[in-house]
Amino acid sequence: MLRGRLAGLVPTNTSLVVFGSLGRNEVTQGSDVDWTLLLDGPADPQHLDVALQIERRLEEMGRKEPGREGTFGGLAVSHDIIHKIGGGDDTNRNLTQRILLLLESACIGDAVAYQSVINNVVTRYVYEDVAAGAGDTPYKVPRFLQNDIARYWRTVAVDFAYKRRLRAAQGWALRTAKLRMSRKLTYVAGLLSTFSVATDFADDSQQRRDVGGYRVIKHLRDRFRETPLGIIAGTILQYSPSLDDPARRLFRAYDGFLAILDDEDDRKELEKLSPQDSEHSAVYAHVHQLGDEFQKALTTIFFDSDTPIQALTRRYGVF
Amino acid sequence: MRSFGFSTGAVALADFERAIDLLSTTAATAIELSALRFGELPALMAAIPTLDLVKYKYVSVHAPGAFSAAEEPQVVELLQAAADREWNIVLHPDTVHDHAVWAPFGSLLCIENMDRRKPIGRTAAELSRIFERLPDASLCFDFAHARQCDTSLTEAFWILEEFATKVAQVHISELDGHSRHVRLSPGGVAACRSFAEWIPQDVPLIIEAPVEPHEIEEEIARTLDALTPRLAVAAA
Repeated sequence: MLRGRLAGLVPTNTSLVVFGSLGRNEVTQGSDVDWTLLLDGPADPQHLDVALQIERRLEEMGRKEPGREGTFGGLAVSHDIIHKIGGGDDTNRNLTQRILLLLESACIGDAVAYQSVINNVVTRYVYEDVAAGAGDTPYKVPRFLQNDIARYWRTVAVDFAYKRRLRAAQGWALRTAKLRMSRKLTYVAGLLSTFSVATDFADDSQQRRDVGGYRVIKHLRDRFRETPLGIIAGTILQYSPSLDDPARRLFRAYDGFLAILDDEDDRKELEKLSPQDSEHSAVYAHVHQLGDEFQKALTTIFFDSDTPIQALTRRYGVF
Repeated sequence: MRSFGFSTGAVALADFERAIDLLSTTAATAIELSALRFGELPALMAAIPTLDLVKYKYVSVHAPGAFSAAEEPQVVELLQAAADREWNIVLHPDTVHDHAVWAPFGSLLCIENMDRRKPIGRTAAELSRIFERLPDASLCFDFAHARQCDTSLTEAFWILEEFATKVAQVHISELDGHSRHVRLSPGGVAACRSFAEWIPQDVPLIIEAPVEPHEIEEEIARTLDALTPRLAVAAA
């Protein structure tokens, strides 16, 4: 429906990108539409008009507006996303847009600008991770990217505390559930994607055929085209049957979480619930239990499995 | 050594005879006869028997960049004169109305990857859909178009990887902010250098950047230098 109503508005050198539950392909009843008009080319005053038109169309369709932090909605410029990785100008908004562009976004309509920005961001992470003149190669876990994904996850966790103070109890329980499930899922997908460079390029013959590191860039780009659940499922299948049991527990817990979000009454209860009342809420108790099961499954996958993931977690996951 | 040269359109717009004259004393060993407007094609094709093209190891014809469905059979009929000489016919995929009328050209039909303004033929995935309908067609890899679509050149890499056996000709130039072909800037030269390993060495190079007559040799030398593989880019 969004494609039919919005794709025709998007001019050359731009892409309409959606994030969040739409980007993860996990839309539930109460999902909002986190979107941005991504510019990758010469500036044109028409771009703002298009962004405003998109906003109006979404309002006409009765879609919930993007979150109040102002991360989404309006315009995003590729120059900031590509060039400002790290440093004082890399704001929370820029970091969030960049990492979510990789890990939980989808494009509505023409995807050429969208793919170009993703390819350029990945190119920076891969190329700048290689120590020039030191015989280094890109066929390893790209630490630059992995650190930025970890930074994003920690930022989300820190901002959780910030929002709790700023907004008092409003939305606390829902934010908690999302932090423990969907936000964590995105981090997991990012971590596994970076690990996959080391495991999938372990063969020397693949490396010899890769002048310029384009195969690594394409490998990551193709991973990021998947949803977070898709990335995790792909990894689990790669190591089947070693991870079959924790995978079942992980997906069952996540499925339960999505069912709660998709239930209007449950979602409303979580939206209104305060920390003080949480111990009397069966919905909160359920979602909290699902979060625990989800974490236990992840602990098995990352720390207790006989796959390369365990060794990679030890080597890259903390220090 | 690979063949290299110019598009006549880049040297003298629609005046192909003047372009051939200007290129006759240069080092060019390849030429693309350009009829970018439908109205230019009949005169170009009629003139073929009279053109002095002996010095060229490689000759191709660039089909018009737009024509109606009603004009399409006439375009195909006119281009048959090029096919009869075994010359490649470079075609923008978005101009096609009926794929069936182009299929008989087989591998002489050289589909060009497109710039961002076009709705199809820009990426490896989009080109795949065209080659599904024209399975015998070859590829004219346009570096400027690929770089405009993705400045990281990841998509360019994938186009050449995916269609390695189809690449029959390469277009070299750069695009300005209005998608017009221009001479390689220092950034364009650097991009060519970083990507030179992936440009097939045995495929003719055609420069599409508009030049003044006195700039022809310089642009050939600059382009060839930019596309000389240096094997120093492994692992970035």
